[in-house]
Amino acid sequence: MANLTRRSVLRSSFGLAAAGALGRPYVANAAATTIEVWFAQGFVPEEDSAFRTMAADYEKQSGNKVEHSLTPYAALRQKEVSAITSGVVPEVMEVADFALAPLQSWDDKLVELDDIVEPVKEQFVPTALPCCYYYNNVTKKRSYYVAPMKIAAVPFHIWKSLVEKGGGNLSELPNTWDAFLDFFKPLQAKLRAAGMRNVYSYGYQLTANGVDPINTFNAFMIAYGGKDLVTPDGKLHTDDPQVKDAAVKAIVKLTTAFKEGLVPPGCVNWNDADDNNAFHSKLMVMDFDGTISTELALFHNKEEFDDILTHGMPLSNDGKELPSQVALFGPVIPKGAKNVAVAKEFVKYSMQPKVLNEYLKGGLGRWALPIPEIVNSDPFWLHDDPHRTAYVDQSVIKPTMPIYEAYNPAIAQVGAEHVVMNGVFDVMKNGMAPEVAIDNAFKRAETIFAKYPIVSS
Amino acid sequence: MTTASAIEFAAPPVRRQSLWRSLRGELKGSEYTWALAFVVPYVGVFLAFVVYPAVYGLWLGSEPSLYPEIFSDPIYQSTVVNTLLFIGIGVNLKMFIALLLSGFFMRPGWWVKVLLMIFILPWAVPALPSFISIHWMLNGEWGLLNNLLYAMFNIDGPSWLNERWTALGSVIVSHIWKWTPFWTVILLAGRMAIPTEINDAAKVDGATGVRSFIYVSFPLLANLYLICTLLSTIFTLGDFNEVYFITGGGPANSTHVLATLGVRNAFDLAQPRLGVAAVMSALPLMIPLVIILMRKLKTSEVQL
Repeated sequence: MANLTRRSVLRSSFGLAAAGALGRPYVANAAATTIEVWFAQGFVPEEDSAFRTMAADYEKQSGNKVEHSLTPYAALRQKEVSAITSGVVPEVMEVADFALAPLQSWDDKLVELDDIVEPVKEQFVPTALPCCYYYNNVTKKRSYYVAPMKIAAVPFHIWKSLVEKGGGNLSELPNTWDAFLDFFKPLQAKLRAAGMRNVYSYGYQLTANGVDPINTFNAFMIAYGGKDLVTPDGKLHTDDPQVKDAAVKAIVKLTTAFKEGLVPPGCVNWNDADDNNAFHSKLMVMDFDGTISTELALFHNKEEFDDILTHGMPLSNDGKELPSQVALFGPVIPKGAKNVAVAKEFVKYSMQPKVLNEYLKGGLGRWALPIPEIVNSDPFWLHDDPHRTAYVDQSVIKPTMPIYEAYNPAIAQVGAEHVVMNGVFDVMKNGMAPEVAIDNAFKRAETIFAKYPIVSS
Repeated sequence: MTTASAIEFAAPPVRRQSLWRSLRGELKGSEYTWALAFVVPYVGVFLAFVVYPAVYGLWLGSEPSLYPEIFSDPIYQSTVVNTLLFIGIGVNLKMFIALLLSGFFMRPGWWVKVLLMIFILPWAVPALPSFISIHWMLNGEWGLLNNLLYAMFNIDGPSWLNERWTALGSVIVSHIWKWTPFWTVILLAGRMAIPTEINDAAKVDGATGVRSFIYVSFPLLANLYLICTLLSTIFTLGDFNEVYFITGGGPANSTHVLATLGVRNAFDLAQPRLGVAAVMSALPLMIPLVIILMRKLKTSEVQL
């Protein structure tokens, strides 16, 4: 046996290092059909299983390998921004919020998906498709950067038992906006009189945290006639008296409920999970929150699951149908991805109606299927479960409009800065007039929009 | 032989040390190769995980146009004020408490050791679950604190996280709760390093109790205390966990500190450069602290 000398150890070490370095391209070549896919972790385990099944089926059919990671959406957003900034990106990333796709499309950081989406776009909810069709400030044109897969709206969630205990009758629930909301008002006093100390009528999210308060304010503003805050040409209409009037009415409605003690005081600093926790603790009779994750969290607790009524948008005060704002989520391919061809193939596979339907059904329908034809024909979506029926009816069948981020990425920054919710707080806590709060918020929004001029569409 | 050449011969030879030789030092033959083999991994790690991130961060925040944008953010000023309060009150109060407690834990007795073990727990438990628990504990409606107040005194406590000052106060108290044990242990180690003879001599001279602390212990600990305070200030400037998980910067963005503003800009606004710029705007405070710290670390003698 040869003696180990310092020189021989060093020589061997350098030799191994060199062999490793030279061997690396071989490994890379061998993995040419492997793609890295980042998706958001589901709210219920069934969602994750459904994704894994879909990925495994793709692997079987294509012979390619999908290296996937499922990450909670807040962490995923941070991971994705970091990846795009550093340039070390996976092949496919799921959009997990309202801001990433519009802002990264604006900066030309995503691969165009027109060749995938254009041929099949007719099958999707047309009003939601703009959520995938973003403006690129380098090419000065709009393109599809997100593959449409999951549609989501914001329904009402109502505890039936609390309504009954509070002396209400859900069969008498009015169907116009103000009357619908006011139905819950007197329940609080009766519930408290019945011995429930900490119970409130509403679970409005009046916090400057996450996307829920943005959804809440927008829905209220749209209900009062302010849907044209941002129009499809990307223009901001803070100077439109109708928009301003609607925004003020929205603030008044939300803050009056708070001032009257009908909303849990803690809602001014709720984070994303707090309203769900509060609702599950029966702290409020009604909550207004995106998707049916609130219900699905209790999926295995049948009694409580059945005790929740999911309700779509009521009519406007003058009896017209109100459009629900919807977001359409799906995967993007970041520029710099090593294997764009396989990434596109995977995305295309995932978007196939049959595959997508099975995937979303596997996830218990937390995300609705954005394909009306299948929604109407598959009983899973509109017949098998009352929560899902109400939610899918609202998201896919009834009138919808895209979130404003589809029109101009500036609104993503307006939302992230919570310029409106800061004003809501001033009205509730500092006695500011709602008109002044809206003026301040709109002024800031105008400053931000000035950075995102859309020259053509 | 000329005079000049005689002088040349008489002059001692000038040793011109080449760069190569100065790098090699006194190492000979394979010793140098060995030294290199041991040093390279550390240099590699240092370059990859210290130099690269720092330079990358500086590069990300180097665009001058970022700063007017940061300064025009409506919440920037209140964020700076919060940062100063968080550090000024949080760090100093924590260090002062740690200084006092380190004296207490010098006491003899097995129960003091047991108490120390329990006292260290807040530092030992993972930070994020702790702060999320505090966020829930302080909830006005279903939080543990207000429920206890109601159960014990039949009173409804305030919504702790609903007002800027109670929310910021909660963050400061949580910071003190979390980090006091760590600095107490450091200062305890400093106290234990003071030779007992000094205290014994002081006792002979009549310095006991508070007098002994003021005239003996504290002067001996002063340098360590200052270095710990500076270090803690630097750590806290870059730490976003307390604010991020307890108040989330709320209510209405009123409790952000520069670190959380940076996180918001980087990820919620998806503008990492703006996020780095927010954090970099703390450099005028950070750089003097680092310089003072470096100078203090050079001090090798006990300062009485």
